[in-house]
Amino acid sequence: MEEAILEAFILAKDSSTIQLPEGHYLFSQELSINGKKHLTIKGMGMDKTVLSFKGQTKGAQGLLISNSQNITLANMTIEDATGDNLKITDCDTVVLRNIRSAWTGKASTENGAYGIYPVLSNNVLIENCVAIGASDAGIYVGQSDQVIIRNNKAFYNVAGIESENSTDVEIYNNEVYENTSGLLIFNLPKLTRYGSKIKAYKNTIYNNNTPNFGVKGSIVSSVPKGTGVVIMATQDVAFYDNTIKNHKTSNLSVVSYEIFAADEDAREEELTDEAQLQGIRSVDSDFRKDSLYNPYPGRIQISQNQFENSYGFPTLTNEYGILMLLKNKRIIPDVVYDGILPKGAKLQDDQHKICLEDNGEINFVYMDAANEFENFSNDLEPFNCKLKMNMTRQ
Amino acid sequence: MTKGLTTHLFKILFCLGALAFSLGCSSDSKKQIPKAIKVSSKKRISNSKLSEKEWLSEYNFFKKPLSDLQPKKGVFAYDLNNALFTDYAFKKRFIFLPDGKKMTYQNEGVLDFEIGSILIKNFYYPKDFNKPMDEIKIIETRLLIKEVDGWKPLNYVWNESQSDAKLNYVGGEVPVSWKNENQVYKSISYGIPNLNECKNCHFKGSEITPIGPTVAQLNKKYSAIKSAQNQLERFQNLGILDLPDSHPSLPKLPIWDDPKTGSIKLRANAYLDANCAHCHREQGSAKNSGLYLTYNETNMRRRGVFKPPVAAGKGSGNLEYSIVPGNPEESILIYRMKNNDPAIRMPEIGRVSAHKEGIALIEQYIQSLAEY
Repeated sequence: MEEAILEAFILAKDSSTIQLPEGHYLFSQELSINGKKHLTIKGMGMDKTVLSFKGQTKGAQGLLISNSQNITLANMTIEDATGDNLKITDCDTVVLRNIRSAWTGKASTENGAYGIYPVLSNNVLIENCVAIGASDAGIYVGQSDQVIIRNNKAFYNVAGIESENSTDVEIYNNEVYENTSGLLIFNLPKLTRYGSKIKAYKNTIYNNNTPNFGVKGSIVSSVPKGTGVVIMATQDVAFYDNTIKNHKTSNLSVVSYEIFAADEDAREEELTDEAQLQGIRSVDSDFRKDSLYNPYPGRIQISQNQFENSYGFPTLTNEYGILMLLKNKRIIPDVVYDGILPKGAKLQDDQHKICLEDNGEINFVYMDAANEFENFSNDLEPFNCKLKMNMTRQ
Repeated sequence: MTKGLTTHLFKILFCLGALAFSLGCSSDSKKQIPKAIKVSSKKRISNSKLSEKEWLSEYNFFKKPLSDLQPKKGVFAYDLNNALFTDYAFKKRFIFLPDGKKMTYQNEGVLDFEIGSILIKNFYYPKDFNKPMDEIKIIETRLLIKEVDGWKPLNYVWNESQSDAKLNYVGGEVPVSWKNENQVYKSISYGIPNLNECKNCHFKGSEITPIGPTVAQLNKKYSAIKSAQNQLERFQNLGILDLPDSHPSLPKLPIWDDPKTGSIKLRANAYLDANCAHCHREQGSAKNSGLYLTYNETNMRRRGVFKPPVAAGKGSGNLEYSIVPGNPEESILIYRMKNNDPAIRMPEIGRVSAHKEGIALIEQYIQSLAEY
């Protein structure tokens, strides 16, 4: 059966449908689709058609779909790939529906990185999917444009859902719980494209307090447990009508890439001046030189969300928790903003504005991280504003 | 993410370290994940077959016996300055050109080929690497066929009797053993790529292209024939390639394992170009990683120096950067070159064993980066 399915995928004709029968199929190698148009691959249902890659010896992914257009994948489970369960790269117009991506057994560093992973792709819809056990992100969209992530569940991953360097992304009606961190909206430097214009609404994000089991070196491995939502170095984000609750570090954080890059500065000092002249630079100086990359969050509107916390004492497993213990009367913040800005910029500048409105009684923290927390504050008033959002998708 | 705060919080942490340690060790990660229901079926998925030649012999590339790989008229042998490492397999490469057709010179990138041209690459193992012509086992013959709508890859797998090779779409594994130059017996389960894996490496932008036959790669004497002639000149003499009129210095890559041909840095760049840059280039399938390893890439950060991984998963091996100058052991590049786990190894496709000699060169290169 392995060869039959492998062959069907490789030889699939354009404008055809591959119907996978009910069954639990074990593969020793990666399955792939390459260079196809208008292809539908359907199973008989999440609980009925299971493609398992446990112990695979060939290929890093479970299913890899590349260089294809108008692809629909539906109604199946993909599990236990050695690398990513489902990777979609260089594709246009992709629908992923009723797919369960899981690593069975423990939430472990040994699990593969990404559960459902479209990258370098445009016009992607991910709906009614379930992502479980990824040692990086359950549902991860990277370097992609025009993406909808809706009605999914993500749990027991390091990051539940992550949008990275992607533009025109809508994330709604998802249930994200018991990950290390629930929802990440990130922009990283030096990649093929940068993201903005993200709408996240009507999501339920709770209890993301699982100890981080990410592989060191990965971006998510440095995200503290107990962070509901983190918006990093991204501009034009509308975050509204969400329910975020019960996180031990913070319900929502808005931070700059500087928070990551401070670590890189230390490495740069190890390099001699001559090495610098040779063009060897660490991430840090490099991202500042990149005129296309903006490491500071801005034009972020946070409105009408419901924040709650049943935890009364911050976790002390990370510096944020300790900071809150010392500076925030032991209260776990609902919304925390690092307040780091480029030189000479002001919080009131339009492109740097962070606005909060109608989120009820919340604990807000302005960290002033750039100045050793000198102006650490809980005053929400300077941030009580409404932005005119610049969205392609209204 | 929290590391940046470390300096600011140092004093605070100093006081609270012990407290944090004692409170911070909850473990709620051991959760059981629901498992899918187990059922089975033997129904066939699809019967689609393409209309390709079923046997390699049908192409008429070689004189009989086929396994001698002696080219017929219109089939031209060539080799490259730097070959992709594929588990120490030997390779014999040929270009088939339709009657009267030529290749067209390109200063950068692969030569231009006319429709009907076919690149032929045979993978084989001599029983004894010190007698590479004696007893050989041919595993597969990979073709790239230039058709009206672009290049098409096809693969033919040789039968046990070595009389012919049969079309294969799905790849497979073949046990192979040999005695290497140092008289050490080696055996591996050689991986034959499936058709999509062929495409994966040969995709550039949105189309399939050859990788090897660039002028910089072809600019050498053909090693299997003891002629003094450069193979580009040989092609010109054969009337299948016109070199530019004035070419005192056609582009030429240093040979990775020949110190006479270039510095460690240049040879490392040439090695990485041949082994990594088909994906790690701006139009390659690994462009999302932000790691670019073409020979002419000069930005050291893009080449991996202090570059953190983007989506490497386990591939990062708990290390922080692709290359840490002076420290190969802490460089992800070396970690992935050494590893044979399919989720970790690089290249991802085309090897099941590590290239000891190539790794040694890249280690030297990383060491040398600290000496600037």
